[in-house]
Amino acid sequence: MSNINEYEIKKPKVDLNYSSQLKPVHSDPNPEAKPLPKVTIDGKAYEFKPGDTIMQVAERYKIHEEIPRYCYHPGMPIAGTCRMCTVEVEKAPKLMTSCSTPAGDGMVVHTRSEKVMKSRTGVMEFLLTNHPLDCPVCDKAGECELQDYNFEYGPAKSNFKEEKRVYDNATTKKLSPLVTLNMNRCVHCERCVRFTDDITKTNDLVMVNRGWHKELEATTEAGLTNEYQGNLTDFCPVGALTWNDFRFQKRSWFLTRKASICDGCSKGCNIEVHSDADVVYRYVPIFNEMVNGHWMCDSGRNSYVDFMNPYRVTTPMLKQNDSMHSVSIDALLASVNAQLKSASSVQIVVGTDATREEAALLKEKVPALIGKTVAVSYFNGTNGVTSPADDKKLDQLLKMKDLTPNTRGVADEGLAPLANGELNAEVAILFRNGRAGVPKMKADQKLVLWGVWSQKDIQSLPSKNILGVIAGLATIEKEGSYKNVDGIVQKFHPAIIHRGGALSAHQVVGLWKSLT
Amino acid sequence: MTHQYVEPVLTKFVNEPNSHTLDFYVKNDKGYEALRKALTMKPAEIVDEVKKSNLRGRGGAGFPTGMKWSFMPAKPVDVNGNPKPKYMVCNADEGEPGTFKDRLIMTKVPHKMIEGMIIACHAIESNKGFIYIRGEFYKETRIMQKAIDEAKAAGFLGKNIMGTGYDCDLIIYKGAGAYICGEETALLNSLEGKRGEPRLKPPFPAQVGAYGMPSCVNNVETFAAVPYIMNEGAEKYASLGIEKAGGTRLYGVSGHVNKPGVYELPMTMTLREVIEVAGGVRTGHTIKAVIPGGASCPMLRADEIDVKMDYDSLAKAGTMSGSGGVIVLDETVNIVEAVYVLLKFYEHESCGQCSQCREGSHWLARMFKRILDGGGTNDDLDYVAKICSNMAGQTICAFADAVTGPALSSVKKFRSEFEDLIRNGGLHPKKGEAHSHAKEGAHV
Repeated sequence: MSNINEYEIKKPKVDLNYSSQLKPVHSDPNPEAKPLPKVTIDGKAYEFKPGDTIMQVAERYKIHEEIPRYCYHPGMPIAGTCRMCTVEVEKAPKLMTSCSTPAGDGMVVHTRSEKVMKSRTGVMEFLLTNHPLDCPVCDKAGECELQDYNFEYGPAKSNFKEEKRVYDNATTKKLSPLVTLNMNRCVHCERCVRFTDDITKTNDLVMVNRGWHKELEATTEAGLTNEYQGNLTDFCPVGALTWNDFRFQKRSWFLTRKASICDGCSKGCNIEVHSDADVVYRYVPIFNEMVNGHWMCDSGRNSYVDFMNPYRVTTPMLKQNDSMHSVSIDALLASVNAQLKSASSVQIVVGTDATREEAALLKEKVPALIGKTVAVSYFNGTNGVTSPADDKKLDQLLKMKDLTPNTRGVADEGLAPLANGELNAEVAILFRNGRAGVPKMKADQKLVLWGVWSQKDIQSLPSKNILGVIAGLATIEKEGSYKNVDGIVQKFHPAIIHRGGALSAHQVVGLWKSLT
Repeated sequence: MTHQYVEPVLTKFVNEPNSHTLDFYVKNDKGYEALRKALTMKPAEIVDEVKKSNLRGRGGAGFPTGMKWSFMPAKPVDVNGNPKPKYMVCNADEGEPGTFKDRLIMTKVPHKMIEGMIIACHAIESNKGFIYIRGEFYKETRIMQKAIDEAKAAGFLGKNIMGTGYDCDLIIYKGAGAYICGEETALLNSLEGKRGEPRLKPPFPAQVGAYGMPSCVNNVETFAAVPYIMNEGAEKYASLGIEKAGGTRLYGVSGHVNKPGVYELPMTMTLREVIEVAGGVRTGHTIKAVIPGGASCPMLRADEIDVKMDYDSLAKAGTMSGSGGVIVLDETVNIVEAVYVLLKFYEHESCGQCSQCREGSHWLARMFKRILDGGGTNDDLDYVAKICSNMAGQTICAFADAVTGPALSSVKKFRSEFEDLIRNGGLHPKKGEAHSHAKEGAHV
């Protein structure tokens, strides 16, 4: 697959999930061409694109960890208020904020001079004067920028003897059912305010009051209403905004962080799966300029629940004596194989949440195993989408109408949409990974279910005539590739190991083959 | 004003009962003649004239006014190539503690300022000006609005001014009473209806100002000086002042003097002479400290007040000429208490954007309070300098520097008073507790 739009999702080298992916730039080797300007940072010259700020040059050459920041975020407008990213620029009388100062040709920048370090220590001391020193009970501990930067730049001790600032009802303020605000911990970087103003454009949050008792509040009584609230809790540098679903569930340093993809819609946001002992605790977005930028939506963020739920069928199930029983995969395949062979007609319906590899397998290999002509088609069934052409953007950011990840990829395999969205063969194999819808069917339709199914899904099927369930792997447990709404093929690898009895489609086909 | 030390430019008629009316202004003060003259001149000529007059901004920073006007882009266009309007903004948000000179102009000679502003609008080729008046100035706003209405009715303002075809409109905008909105970019934000927080510079207001358009922000007193320059000529105005700063200045003298008030004086006078003009320190008392230019200027001791009142001499003496608000403190004042009052003001007025200013102003105010209450230690005094050095010059606007002015200078110049408080257990020590409490220090 040598597609120029192919992208392999990898965990970024830098741990902060909002690091930018600016690439180094090089002058045109042609001697006639005007060379790019150069800025010297800490004794080394770097070429940059005219218009870059000092921070962006540092990001291009992956030296931005030398510059701490609170209010700066590469995905948002510049505020320049935290004063943490100041650097010394030769010939400038004052320290300059690297986030807002454009780099100039021949500029000489020092990121670790004595003056700079003193200023950073000063900012850290000021921020800590009113910040509670209760890291052991703070949910952000371990991934808190205040902690990290204080370790690196903070003063060993402070002379602050005054009482700390305490806001009314600070620790229990719910901004929405999803996000909790602890105002006492806030360092007033206002990333959250700028996010709701400029990214989601919902203007949900506002700072009220002035100076040291400046307080973050929701603009209306409804609180946060945008569908990207989880991002607030990602980029909040301290434990002020926390994600209720994750709050106090796990210490961040116990989490294993692996890259994967969100299969909640046709966008295919790149995510980092945070798990411990193969139990997923949360998804956070990974920066991908081509797909999701820095963000992901809340329904995608919470979609891990579908794979971690106790109703999911994780062992092969076979219908014996009118009820479903957990059996070995060999027994299941033997029984299903016999029934398929004796059926008058068989059809396979591939959900558009199958990976491109699974779709190819179901189209090429499985009909041969059954040994007769089998109609293979795909079915989407979410939000009334039947083919890629029905998909459209639901807002200005990420949300899509098609709630399955791979409609384009499955269509690319040469499959056609299921006619009328209705099953018509005697036995139908429904392959679906928990995202695609279920086609219309007769009340006595014989079904073989394959993929990620929950008991609730099965109970709500119109037909109770289920021959068996072949438990499959969810997106985060397998490897494969999806083609997203913009035609970008994204490859992914397992983020966690499936601990139940579900098998990948390739394993199932391998075992099936050995039967025949 | 009993003594005249210089030909008054602004305050000649302020004691007349009707000086704020258009009739009086036109009859006695060459009212709107400067405008008539200016409208016959090319904008660039006016800017040159103001440059020649050495007029420097009266808001506090003392930036040359003509230069500021010449920074305005000639023919600004937006991204689509359409011409953009330019705006003139008047900073009438006189909020600096100890400063009350603009109020005098607005209540007594509003037409002078309005005329100056129309000329300034013409000079930068703008057709609209905004007058941002401090929220607390109810009376001033009313008088200004009346004056604008009068000028409009008389054809000095509005469409086709005096038949020259030049249109200019002035709009009054009332602030909500935040000190920080006296900072020009915070003022612009507030004018636009946003939070009054200073903007990151660059871009400067001359490129991106009010409503994203090129704008020029000047003080009330600066505008009020312009008609005189037009009428009497730049040379005459420049000759009233000193080498690099033309004209007279208004000094608002307050505190422990016999005759507090606004005095129009030349910049050649020393601070001691200015205090003498205001009747001297109140009878039977001696000067302890003087704040020479509004609360944010570092204070001077009684032995340091023989300093000339121009921009550069005061800078050499380690303080600022600021907004001309001279605050005189006599020996009955406890410096720590006086500075605490200022710091409490700054703590309340910091906009809270920059970390250093938000937390530092709060910290300093609380620390001074603790010293006043008897919980201070000598370490605290050394720490004031450290906090101030971490604040000054590190933030978006000059507010943090303003906070450190009184805090740092008071500790440096009146350290013994702090030490007395620390030793005695505060301003109002309880009997028998003084020593033990001071030794123990405050509890975290």
